[in-house]
Order: sequence, then C-alpha cells, then structure tokens
Amino acid sequence: MNPVSLSVPRERLRTICIAGSGQVGVIAALALKRALPDAQVIVIGLADDPTAYADTASTALPFTNKLHDRLGLSEDELIRRAGASHRLITRYAGWAGEGADAVGAVPYGAPADTQARARFAREWGGGSRGALAAPGSRLPATSLPQVLAEAGRFAVPPGDMPTPLDEVDYALRWNSPAYRDILIERAQQAGVIYLPGPIQGHEPDGKGGIAAIGVDGQGPIAADLFVDCSGPAARLISAMPGAQWEDWGDVLPVRRILHARPGQAMLALEDRFTLTRQGWLMEQAGRDGLHMALGLAPQMGEQDAVQVMTQTLGAQPARLVEVAPGCHRESWLGNVVALGDAAAWFEPLAHLNLDLAHRQLALLLEMLPGLAIEPLERAEFNRRAHLMAVQVRDTLATHYAAPRARSIFGEAPLPEGLDRVIDQYTRRGRLPHREEAALLAAEYMALLDALGLPGAVPVSARATASAESAAALRAFEEQAQRALAFAPPYAQFMQQMLAAGAAPAPV
Amino acid sequence: MTEQGSKVRVVVLGGGTAGWMTAASLIRLLPDTASVDLIESEDIGIVGVGEATLPHIRGFVEKLGIDEAAFMKATHATFKLGIDFRDFGRIGESYIHPFGSFGEEVAGIGFHHYWLELQRQGRAAPLGDYSLAVAAARANRFAPPAQDHTLASTYGYAYQFDATLFGPFMREFACRHGVTRHEGLVVDVERDGASGDVAALLLADGRRIEGDLFVDCSGFRSLLLGQALGEEWEDWTHWLPCDRAAAMPCTHETQDIRPFTIATAMPAGWRWQIPLQHRMGNGYVFSSAHISEDEACAAIKAAAEGEPLAEPRILKFRPGRRKHSWSHNVVAVGLASGFLEPLESTSIYLAQMAITYLIELFPDQGGIDPRDVAEFNRLVDVEYDRVRDFLILHYNATTRDDSEFWNHVRTMQVPDTLADKLELWRKAARIEKYADGLFFDASWIAVYVGQGLLPERHDARVALADPVRVAGALERLRGAIAAEVAAMPGHLEYLRGEAGRLAPEDALAA
Repeated sequence: MNPVSLSVPRERLRTICIAGSGQVGVIAALALKRALPDAQVIVIGLADDPTAYADTASTALPFTNKLHDRLGLSEDELIRRAGASHRLITRYAGWAGEGADAVGAVPYGAPADTQARARFAREWGGGSRGALAAPGSRLPATSLPQVLAEAGRFAVPPGDMPTPLDEVDYALRWNSPAYRDILIERAQQAGVIYLPGPIQGHEPDGKGGIAAIGVDGQGPIAADLFVDCSGPAARLISAMPGAQWEDWGDVLPVRRILHARPGQAMLALEDRFTLTRQGWLMEQAGRDGLHMALGLAPQMGEQDAVQVMTQTLGAQPARLVEVAPGCHRESWLGNVVALGDAAAWFEPLAHLNLDLAHRQLALLLEMLPGLAIEPLERAEFNRRAHLMAVQVRDTLATHYAAPRARSIFGEAPLPEGLDRVIDQYTRRGRLPHREEAALLAAEYMALLDALGLPGAVPVSARATASAESAAALRAFEEQAQRALAFAPPYAQFMQQMLAAGAAPAPV
Repeated sequence: MTEQGSKVRVVVLGGGTAGWMTAASLIRLLPDTASVDLIESEDIGIVGVGEATLPHIRGFVEKLGIDEAAFMKATHATFKLGIDFRDFGRIGESYIHPFGSFGEEVAGIGFHHYWLELQRQGRAAPLGDYSLAVAAARANRFAPPAQDHTLASTYGYAYQFDATLFGPFMREFACRHGVTRHEGLVVDVERDGASGDVAALLLADGRRIEGDLFVDCSGFRSLLLGQALGEEWEDWTHWLPCDRAAAMPCTHETQDIRPFTIATAMPAGWRWQIPLQHRMGNGYVFSSAHISEDEACAAIKAAAEGEPLAEPRILKFRPGRRKHSWSHNVVAVGLASGFLEPLESTSIYLAQMAITYLIELFPDQGGIDPRDVAEFNRLVDVEYDRVRDFLILHYNATTRDDSEFWNHVRTMQVPDTLADKLELWRKAARIEKYADGLFFDASWIAVYVGQGLLPERHDARVALADPVRVAGALERLRGAIAAEVAAMPGHLEYLRGEAGRLAPEDALAA
C-alpha cells in the first residue's frame, strides 16, 4: 500500500508590497497584515488621483460593513470619527417616467418574505437562483427600508435582542479623508510600514511577475506579493506581460463626470440618482455635505453642464473627471494582484466602485496564496474577480438599457448576456442566476423596476390566490407599523450615538 | 378565469416517474395556463429511477401541496442523511457524503484547512466526526433538523422510497387535480409540415391526441425528441462506462433501518443498498464492456443482504444527454433528456430541475419563444455538466488496480473542467466556487478526502493558529456532535414512533 502523504501548510508570504495609499491600498494593507501578522506589509505612498473612484468614494454597499467587522472597524467609531451615516435606499427619479409616481426605490437586503421564497427556491430547484425569489409576484410596492426612509426613522439594531429592524440592511457613507485616517491609524498600529513613493520602474522576477520595484529615495523594494492599488494608472498590473485591458466603452456611454463642491451637511436615509436631459445626477447626502455629480450624456457640452450645475442645481462645479471604463481581463498576473480602480475603472453610478474593490479584496483574502503561487489558484481568482467586474459592468449598463435612458445616452449595445437577463425579467418575470452578482436578486429586481424595466408576472404566479396576496400585504403593513414604532427619528438616533461615544471632537 | 379553450394543451408521453412528476407539477402550478393529458401504456415497463433522492425532493413535495407524512406512507419511505461510499478510493475504506457540512470556517479560512493541519499533527479524528449528518448516519439515528442556526440545523435530509410506488402516488395526485390519463401505445407522431412541430400523437387503437406542447417522458427510447425529431445525443460512456444495472429487491436482514444509502464499489462498477420501510433495494450498476449480465446477476445475488424477493432484473442505460432538451414544441424530461448513473441519486433531481425550468419558461400567450427554449437548454446543460464532473471524480480518485474497470477509470483522461478542479485541490486545497447547480464545497471535500485524494498543501495561515487551541475547538465540536447524536432517537425508533403518520400498517412492525 502507498503510504498516505499528509498535506502540509504552505510556506507563508514574507513580504507584501502595496502600491498606493488611498483608502483601497490602506484597507488592503490592514487586512493582509491581520491575515499574516508575521509578514512585512509595506505601503508605497502615491499621489492621490481624483479620478480613482474606489479611492475617493465616500460610500459603499452593505458588504463593506461585514468587511469592517472582520477588520475590527466598528461602526460606532466611523460614526463618531468619520462622519458616517446610513443609507437604506437609493432613489431613482426620472428613469421610469415623469413625476413622483415614477420614482423607484432600491432597498438593500432581501426582505424576509423574499428570503423565505429564495430559500424555498433553492430547495425546490437547487442553486440560489433569483428566478423563484419573487414568485408570487413582483416585489411588494413598498419595502421596510423604504417605509423607514420615508418616515426618516431608523436606528441600528443593538444586536443583542430581536427588534423589528433586524432585517433592514444598510450601506454607510462617510467623510473620505477622515475614514482613510482611521484606516491609516489602524494599519500603523498593526505594524504596516509606510514608504513614500513615487515608484520608478520594476525588476521582473523571470516568472511573469515582479521581483522588486524601484521607489524614489528607497532603492529597490523586494516582495513576494505586490498589490496594485495605484488607481486607474494601474502602475504595476498594466506593466505585466500578458496584461489585457477590456474596454467597456461600447456599452457604457458616460465619459465625463462633473463633480460639485460639497453642499450643506445633510442627514438622510436615502440617496438619489436622477435621469436628466444632461445625463444622470447623483445626490449623496452626508454629514460632511451633500455630494453632487453629473454623469454627462455623450452629446452634452462641458460648458452647458457647468451652467446646469450652477444655475439649475445651485452648486459650484469642483472638477471634471474623465473616465475610460473597463477592467483588466486578469487582475492577478504573476505575483501582482490589482484591486480597486487598477482592476476596474468606471463611473460612480450606483455606488459600486468601493464595493467591488472590497469584494475583490475579500476574494484575495479567501484565496490568499502561499509563497509559491499556484497557476490554478490565480486562474480561479481571475475567473471570479472577472465575473465580479463583469457583473458591475452589467449593472451599470442596465441603467443605460432602460427606454428613457436610451433617449438621453443613446442606443449603446447591451453587453453579452445582459439582454438575456433583461428579456427574461421583463418578459417572464424571472431573473436568471448571475454568478458573483453585484446586487442581490431582490435588489437587482427593484433596480430594474425603478429604471423602467418592470418585471412581468411569472406564469406560475397567475394562479396565486388574491387572498394570499392580501394576507401578505396585511402582514407587511403590520411589520411596517412595528418598525416605525420602534425606530426613533434618525437625527435623534444619531445624536444619541454621538453623545454616548464621548468622542474626541471631530477635527 | 381563462377559458378552457385558451389553455396551452400539454401532452405528456410516458407514465413513469418523470411523466407523472411533470403532469402533477404542471396541473398543480399552472392550473389556469395548462391542460394536461398523459399517455401511458401498461405494456411498457417503467425504469422507476431513483429509489434514493436528494433533499431537493422535499421542496417538490411541499410546493405541490403534498403532505410529507402521507407521501412517506404511500411510498414506504425512510429518511436519508447521505450516502456511504465503500471501497471506492481503496478496498476496505469507506466514507459518508452527507447532506450537511463539516465544521465551520474560522477567520475566513475553510474548516478543512484546519482539519488537514491537525491531521498532519496526528491530532485529527476522521473528517466525518465533524459532521452531524455523518455522525448521526453512522449511529443509525435520525431526527428532523432544527430551523435555527444551531448545530442541529447543519444538515438536511432526503427520502429513500419505493420508486414503483412513487409513480402511482403521483398519478393519483395528478389525476385528482385534473390530468387526463390515456392508456395506449403511441404508434405514430404527426408533425406539422411547415413548422416541423409535433401536432398530435396517434395511438394503436386509432385515437389521436393533439397538443400545443409535448413533454417527452418516454425514457431512453425518447420517442419524440430522439426518434421523431432526431435530436442528437452526446455520449459520455468514455467517462462513465457503467451502462447496465442488475436490480434485485430483498427482505430486510437486520432489525435496524439505516438512514443512508450504501454504495459499494465492485470489480466492474458499484452496487447500491437502499433501505425502505418494508424491504431493501439492491442493485449492481456495471459496465457491460467489463462483465456480462449473467456475471452481474450472479454477483448481486451473492452480495445482497436479505432474502431475494425477485430475480435480478437488468436495466440498460447510456450516460449522456441530448444536445438540446427542448426542440420545436417538444421538451424532454427525465431519461428521454439525459442520463447520469444513480451514484449520487441525481435522477429525480434532474427531472425536478427540468420541470422547474419548464414552469418558469412555460409558453406564454403567443406560443413558444425561441429565447425561452435557448434559456431552458442553457440551464439544463449547466446542471448536467456539473453533476457529470462530480460523478467522474468518484471513479477517477482511486488507487484501485484490481480490475480492468478500475484501471480504466483510474487512468482515463477526465474532462478539462474536472482536471482543473482536481489540480486546484491538489496544489492548494481549494474548491472551485459557484452558487448555482448541485454539489458545493462540502460535497467535493467529502469525496476528495473520503477517497484518499489529499492535497499536497493547505492554507498557509492555519500554521499561525495555536495548535492546542485549534485541537481543543475541534474536539469540542466533535463532542457537541456526539452529544447531539446521542440525544437523537434511532432511525427505526423514530419511524416507529411516527408510524401512525409515516407508515402503512405493519410495515415497521417489530
């Protein structure tokens, strides 16, 4: 008999070098240092790039809250020190039609009944397909997050006892520089080393990767793994042999985004994307001010956009960002892994930039290699990371696929596969499973509805007794009443949080 | 109300498991949209696939509004927690592939990495000890899983039932809900000259059954999709050489009823033992290229537990699938669409999956849309291909060199999709991840480890954890599982306790 040879742990990475000191680079450094405390983790500081949307984002999606938990970043601290606030829904106005009735709301999370239906769908059909997630029907016209957002009431559930708000998921927004300062502080405490850049070239390792990078005034910095968080410049990954940029320009029409100076501070439970004749308008509330940006339709002149911003919106233009959307076909080449804008660069529509960076970071942590990188683990990372990027592209393209949006942004072709998804939803009321999707099935269906691509009633739902629907609606109304009774006005909750913290005064 | 005349007229051909599952589902879930006629012949036997099932079947039963207890009683069903694979990786070794997980990930690193590390240090118990489903199965115990997030919720269950009773049960249910049954033999298929669609089926006695949509559940003959439409078959015999089964029911030999199926590797295939309430299902799945039918029958007679209740019966099959399961207005469900041998009890699942998709994509007003046909075929392909790779793994991951059959499957070239998965496991102890389809991480790990295919290396980070603490945590988990199992009733005891609900009179008599 052959002796069984036992599996041994892989040799650990000894040195990890992160190119880029924006909020993506620093959180990657913190996460990697926590994963491998005995490794040397070095961050190379690079100049801030205002076009790096993952780095400048002041909000993300609910996934980021889980990542923060894992890294020991408490929400209390983000509220006290980084001006954090909560977003329960995103409003879409003007996409599905004119007027208040056409304003759709995209809530986070999957409401309880949707979850139950999804679970049922899994048992019934195998796999987590969204198709049956909304049998019955379309999603209810209202959701708990929407009810709360409209009433301006919310509190983060304490977690140690059941409350009527337990099912409500949310995204955080924050003041980007203050958030990054907290990350830097944590990274320093964890022992991450900081070296100022810039980077001057690199020495190949002869295996399709990098042996060392040249850093001004520091000489060559050698490392086992390099993480490229250098923003759209993609300093390291784009220099690798085999680097391939996948251009999304044909399916995403927006190239220019005009950002306004932050307006007045604003506490709100919702943010908004409005379809205007000039393009899309983002309004993101923040305790540090209202952030506005205009994603310009292709035919829109810059001067006109500036005029709209100053006169119609009453805001001061701050900067015009030009983006060439796309992603690296493989974001891990040799021993270089790209995260954030270095991996995929696109407009800040739907708040996906930092979310994608964080999910790809989580994927890297899940698949953290040993000292010797296996080609197949790199391939599996690239397969999943690319699926994530493509799903983001498709979520963005969904916005431009809606009929009213097409009249503004033009008739861009749909990415391969998205036409099938939209066709199945609008014609059959089913959402095909999308592996590594950017949004949950319930969220994406709400988005499609809000954009003016409403779902059909599935053929199997036609038999659903109206009594059943009525009972479901009654149950929801009761649930909503309980939630409203429990949740304080959001401003009151925020004051309590700030008072309880006895926080150092915000700078 | 929709008028009768505007409903889509569905004709199901074949009264086996797939046929009656299809008819019952369509009439129950699309009552206002479809009318259902089913043609079956008493002269044609049924294969009666799948005495053992997967947990998905519970959703099927529930969705149709069938009471679980009534269902179990009618089909003499027992509970199933997984499959015990014996002699696959090496003669004398066995492992259970459970409907459940092994431990939990810690700090974002999968449980199996910690287990591999402890194993290296000589401190690990067998992997199955960290799975509640495995431990309960080994102890012949059963209790329904909890619905919370406790340890008692970390497993699922399926049924082992009498397939020859399942069909009639579904028939009675379907007919009660409005399916029209036609007894007769189909002698001709009438097709529309212009579209090529099937227009009607002609029966031997001259009856003509018209329809808008035809569901081919005629088994391997695939009378409509295969024969009438000539839809191409993709053959997978080179990867899955078993093409026959010798089935033989026996009496129960023991007073205990196992809450699991046994699959024992044999010189030219494997044999099943599926315990039902009233008898034991036995069968030898074999490759006719390696042994004769007579040899297989002799082998199953020699190996079977209990007294034979009948002579062995030979079933013939071909692993593979139609290139398209939906063509024109014909949809194939069950064996007419494809076949994967019952090693992982996937037959009924695959029929159920096709029915689910058919309902989601059921022709709406305006007839069949080619986009829905393409979507159906895409979905079915993904399911078949993923199951296929998982089955091939059971044969390929072996050290057996005691027969020509095992020499073949051990050394054959596997599909590239599987080769990559194997290599990823060997080099880095990682599992290719997807959220759709069947068989996720825990299943792959169960088979890899169970068949002695250990990786060379596991996650670097587990070496950072304090080995004493890790060992302690695993030991606590093992203890908690053992305590949980000790508190469960025996499987037979549970069935007897619930016999009033779950069993026909005397079936479980002491």
